Amino acid sequence: MTLILEAVLLLGLIGITVAIIFGKDLMTSVVIYCAFSFITMFLYIVMGAPDVAFTEAVIGVISTVFFIIILRSINRKTK
Amino acid sequence: MLIVVITVPFIAFDVLPVIGDPESAPNTHVSDYYIEHAIDECNSPNMVTAVIVDYRAFDTMFETTVMFLAGIAVVLILANRPRKRIPSAGSYKRSMTVAGRAIYNTVNKDVMISAIEPVILVYAIYVLFHGEVSLGGGFQAGALIGMTYLLDTMAVRREKPLFRLNKFQSGAIAGLGPFIYAVTGIVSIIGGGLYLEYNKLPLDIHQAELHSIGITAVEVGVTIGVAGTIITILNALIERISFDDDND
Repeated sequence: MTLILEAVLLLGLIGITVAIIFGKDLMTSVVIYCAFSFITMFLYIVMGAPDVAFTEAVIGVISTVFFIIILRSINRKTK
Repeated sequence: MLIVVITVPFIAFDVLPVIGDPESAPNTHVSDYYIEHAIDECNSPNMVTAVIVDYRAFDTMFETTVMFLAGIAVVLILANRPRKRIPSAGSYKRSMTVAGRAIYNTVNKDVMISAIEPVILVYAIYVLFHGEVSLGGGFQAGALIGMTYLLDTMAVRREKPLFRLNKFQSGAIAGLGPFIYAVTGIVSIIGGGLYLEYNKLPLDIHQAELHSIGITAVEVGVTIGVAGTIITILNALIERISFDDDND
């Protein structure tokens, strides 16, 4: 059961990473990156490290906000 | 070159121990010691905290210092303008408000976030002082405090800001964290022990209690360092936003 859950989460991570890389809108990429850290959090919980999961949850939010602030000062579209 | 790049990982996989191998060296000696002695020696049911800030306290001290230096480096890289053009207090406040309005202008979030902020802060304090009993510790508490400041700065529109720091003040606070950590070590030297040897702190109580106090003091340092670093980076980033094009 744990194995299946881990496999699903890891496959989700791969999909999300591809979506981040090929996204045309940087704002979309940032929001999807937030989802990346969310799934990573679940992965840590499944692996039995709730401390790290907690840190990941908080830092995921903070880094997302930092990215959004940065997006205000640069051009949002990649092409 | 290509052959080396391809073959070295495979050779390395053979040499390295298997992940999670119960017979490997760390799992046979060090882990058992931690599991058996963490509660007796440190009065700390959360073994992760015991290992991080007690058995490997020196390591964590320099991690905190590295994080502080990273925050300072961000400020130094981003704030490369001439000194005259650093915004004064008035324009600073205005820029905060403009940034907040630009990012969130759809939902009625002022009331919502104002109500959430005290809860987050109380939770941060709980996480800090229960770090050795339950989940969390200094780093998480500091991140929560920094996140509260960040939410308040970016999302809440106020007539008069409740509590704002400029980047010099927040940098000083970030430096205060490692300083508290180092002073805890020096106090234990004064008590006659080695650096960061908590059971030699000059207080007349049981040894495990001393460890508990030492862990808490160190974690307060880590919390202040992390929160200060996050606020410093936020201040450095906010100065960079261009407020002229507000039309998307």
